[in-house]
Amino acid sequence: MRIVLAFLVVVCVLPRTARAGRSFYGWLYGTEVLPERGVELQTWILEANDKYGSNAKETSIWWGPLIGVTDQLELALPIELEWVSSDADKTFFTFRRFGIEARYRLASQDPADASAFVPLVRVAAKRDVTVRDDVRLEGDLVASYELGPVHALVDLGFASDLRPHTRHSEVRPGGGLSFRVADGFRLGAEVYSEVSFDSRGASWAAVGPNMAWTHGRFWLSGAMGIGVYHVKLAPRVMWGIAF
Amino acid sequence: MRAILVLTGFAALAGSAAGAFAGPAATAPGGRVVGTVKVTEYDGTQAEAVDVIVYVVGFNEPPGDDVTTVAQKGRKFVPDLVAITANERVSFPNFDPFLHNVFSQSSARKFDLGSYPRGDAKDKQFPLTGVVDVYCNIHPEMAATILVLPNRRHVRTDATGRFVLEGVPPGDWTVFAYARRATKPASAKVSVSPSTETTVTLALVRGAEPAHLNKYGEKYHDGKVYP
Repeated sequence: MRIVLAFLVVVCVLPRTARAGRSFYGWLYGTEVLPERGVELQTWILEANDKYGSNAKETSIWWGPLIGVTDQLELALPIELEWVSSDADKTFFTFRRFGIEARYRLASQDPADASAFVPLVRVAAKRDVTVRDDVRLEGDLVASYELGPVHALVDLGFASDLRPHTRHSEVRPGGGLSFRVADGFRLGAEVYSEVSFDSRGASWAAVGPNMAWTHGRFWLSGAMGIGVYHVKLAPRVMWGIAF
Repeated sequence: MRAILVLTGFAALAGSAAGAFAGPAATAPGGRVVGTVKVTEYDGTQAEAVDVIVYVVGFNEPPGDDVTTVAQKGRKFVPDLVAITANERVSFPNFDPFLHNVFSQSSARKFDLGSYPRGDAKDKQFPLTGVVDVYCNIHPEMAATILVLPNRRHVRTDATGRFVLEGVPPGDWTVFAYARRATKPASAKVSVSPSTETTVTLALVRGAEPAHLNKYGEKYHDGKVYP
């Protein structure tokens, strides 16, 4: 408890700068984008433990630069690494995908000019390194609403692997709340799920607390997803540093 | 310290919504407020009263149709001090052959225009009254101040420090004078009657350019706090 209080005191005292390009959530995309010609390096680490009711465990790393093309459009060039362990397969760690994604904020980048309701559209195309004829398409419709210290967000995502003869599609609905408890520091909760449309995949869902911290050009957010369906624990942490 | 002093002088302004000021809207013709602003440097030497803004506080007016321009030229903001009425827009064109990144972390208006090249211009609206300090995230020597005022009764002094404020509505108001690097605004109470002239003399003391950080709240890339 003392450590938590000490941390809160520290984050309240340190200088803070509001900035764009961050998410307040762990599993959900934010609606902020970088200003024009802004550049940020972003990293995610996500886990799904005992997925699909088995002993399958996954840890993935997403890393890439984000570029502010305009004040409302940013591009990301991610690469994804994946570590998987399951009963059936050997444990492996591999370079899994690379690609390009665009995030378009349908409102001014300036919070003072935008309304409290901000929508964002995300589309991505990724090449699967391990399955050479696979292309993954991803998309998200994200909407946030900010009222004083409260930030609410809904994220309706989808992903589809376009392989010849064997296609796999899933939707990824999620939502969350984030409360500003100090300048630059937020706490909240979120729910996230992946719902498969075919027999090849499987579905899972998790709910849990989240946090977000912004300090100068650096931001960090994360969520501890506690499984409510076909997963035990699904933590995820993201951070970014702007240049 | 400078911010505190400026905000003290702007007690009626800082952080207030444009419509929150008491008093009637100005109806022309009102009275005139004329006078002189004397400026001295911090060491006591007399200075030219250039780039001094004189304004009246105590009543509201809607903004005019003009768009104020603060250009980026020769690694400077030109002009580096402007006064606008709340809800007016300010345009920031870049005339330099390289990128600038205009931003403000002032509580009255935080913004980040991103980086843009010569020939491009971006603009911002300023709905809240107060003092907005504007900087470039790439060139730390660039600094400007935007005074966001509750009415249109503001003028720039001439080279001798003289000013004339026309159309000031009848009533008891406070007249302020402010210049960049001023340690605090100068002020005087005035009582304005219709079709009369009220004279005031104001004295400003200029200090050093206040230190500032970049848009992330850090020192600039060379490790210095500017100036």
